[in-house]
Amino acid sequence: MPEQRKSFHQELDEIRDQIVELGALVREFIPRGTEVLLTGDMGGALALIDADDEIDALTLRVEEQCYNVLARQQPMASDMRSIVTAVWLTGELERSGDLMVNVAKAARRIYGATLDPRLRGLIERMSEEASRLISLSLDAYVERDASLGAALADIDDALDTIHGDYIEAIFDAHSADDLGLQPAVQLALVGRYYERIGDHAVNIGQRVQYMVTGWLPEQTGAARLRARAAFGDAADGDPSAEAPSDHEPIEDHDRPGEGPR
Amino acid sequence: MTITAALVIPTGTAVLGACVVLALVAVAVVALTRRTDRRVMARLGSSLDRLGLDTLTTSGDSAGHSSGDASLDELLSRIEQTLRRSRLAGEQELGAIGRLQEVLDTLPLAVMVVDASGTILERNIAAGAFIDARHSDALVGALVNELLAESLAGRPAERTLELFGPPRRAVDVITRPLGVNGMRCAVAIIEDITERRRLEAVRTDFVANISHELKTPIGAIGLLAETLQAEDDPEVADRLAQRIQMESYRVGRTIEDLLELSRIEVDETRVADVVEVGSILDEAVDRLRPAAEQAGVVIEVLGSELDDSLRCDRRQMVSALTNLLDNAIKYSDPEGRIEIRGAVGAEEVVFSVTDHGIGIPARDLDRVFERFYRVDQARSRQTGGTGLGLAIVRHVAVNHAGSVDVESRLGEGSTFSLRLPVSLLGSPPDPSPKEPQ
Repeated sequence: MPEQRKSFHQELDEIRDQIVELGALVREFIPRGTEVLLTGDMGGALALIDADDEIDALTLRVEEQCYNVLARQQPMASDMRSIVTAVWLTGELERSGDLMVNVAKAARRIYGATLDPRLRGLIERMSEEASRLISLSLDAYVERDASLGAALADIDDALDTIHGDYIEAIFDAHSADDLGLQPAVQLALVGRYYERIGDHAVNIGQRVQYMVTGWLPEQTGAARLRARAAFGDAADGDPSAEAPSDHEPIEDHDRPGEGPR
Repeated sequence: MTITAALVIPTGTAVLGACVVLALVAVAVVALTRRTDRRVMARLGSSLDRLGLDTLTTSGDSAGHSSGDASLDELLSRIEQTLRRSRLAGEQELGAIGRLQEVLDTLPLAVMVVDASGTILERNIAAGAFIDARHSDALVGALVNELLAESLAGRPAERTLELFGPPRRAVDVITRPLGVNGMRCAVAIIEDITERRRLEAVRTDFVANISHELKTPIGAIGLLAETLQAEDDPEVADRLAQRIQMESYRVGRTIEDLLELSRIEVDETRVADVVEVGSILDEAVDRLRPAAEQAGVVIEVLGSELDDSLRCDRRQMVSALTNLLDNAIKYSDPEGRIEIRGAVGAEEVVFSVTDHGIGIPARDLDRVFERFYRVDQARSRQTGGTGLGLAIVRHVAVNHAGSVDVESRLGEGSTFSLRLPVSLLGSPPDPSPKEPQ
């Protein structure tokens, strides 16, 4: 029996190592794609798009291994959560890689357009922030650090702010006739890709919280819904009854960090 | 028992040999306490001989193969001596292994040896970075495993991994199959070649750039002169002459800067003048005032009131600041603003020049101090610089035991900081310091 547990834990470690490798591949993609975009390196764009296959293959491999372990070992509690988290993470990471492929494709579409230094600087900064967020989310995963996982949502605010400035800079450049409509639209999408990578990192942070504590931010919303339903039943047919949770501002996405219950 | 304790220390073949000897001793002791049978003794002796210990015999009469006659004392002393030798050999072996490990640890390369199951048999400290690693190092680790698997199958393998980081680096991984004592294993050597690549790039770029900077204007002068010879129209001739003049100024400036740079490189120890920090700032700004006005750029001076005296080569220091200011003006937008700042801190004296111009791309930041390095070839040609300014600044900083660094963001501007140690502050022991000329 102890022999079997040992091999099971080895399998868990293997899954973790592969997630780390997948994360490292995706993290490399971010500065690499940015360089392709800023230097107009078409060969680099093609190489990056091809290299995404590697990420896809690794994603499949990890997922398969996760299912395998689930089916064979029928893990419970935190072991179960570790594997479920790994499956989630493959999705988040693979998608982040795809977003950088989109950046490389955008680089092909805007080829020849000159970007003013301000835009280039903002792209560099978005790229650095996105790469930092992915790094931190992987740190949280490896160290099983739920509080770092929760903090990612706040850390992501910096990227959102730069993204806002960037969109403004695109408007400025376009209205000053320095940037055509087509590249302007492409660049706006590029900004969105970086911003989405940040969101994926925030998601990873939430999944890490789940892995460690068993709690998901969505549970706050679910609890609110239940409370509302219970309250609605009690005050049947009286929509004006005070339901304090109804009047709370609805957030874009539930912030983690409200703590497990 | 003491023998057993001593035997614990040596390793490898020494242990094996010593164990056999120990077993023999045990047999001997048992046998001898029961009955002092000469035949047993003889067999013991020949066993020792067979083990190759006959060459170690001490007494003269047992040098041959008649060890059956050896007395108990003699046998014991042979055994004892053999043990001592094997312990010594074990210790020497251990010492050699320890030394080898130390040598491995001092290597800048990461080295590891794995067996067929992938278990690490040996590794040095540097290799630790790639075990259970994260981020970029995890990718190096994955590549090492991949190549080691290939080498365990008997094929040597080698690949270079480009990592975008941050920080950006290039890593070479080399693996080779090994056959230690018939045991299948493989060695991996991991080398960070980032710095080597950078130096190679510096060298090749330098040669390309210097020939470009010198040959282009000289080629132009030659062609222009040739055209001038065949030109009758005085107006065109005049224009050609002007171009010749312009190009020759350009070569002149480049050569002047090259000479200045080599002078600064040679002048390493000359830190002779005593100047007030503020006056260095003022002098540099005064020199560049006309250029700034022409470009419509405002220079703001902070710290010109500083009267701390600084021991430095005044001419070099002013030249460094002038170069920084000159760059700041060239790369500022019209109506831009430049701040030049002097500050005396607890640990260093900092001169910094901040502009709000186009900025420098992140990937060029660590190369701008190289001779002739240009971020944007086309633009640099327009601004008319020689491409040596920042190399001069760096050498001035180094001559004064200081450093220069740059922070920049595209579209937001750059700040160059020249940092000097506070030990340069105050008057020199020499009572008659040179007057600033």
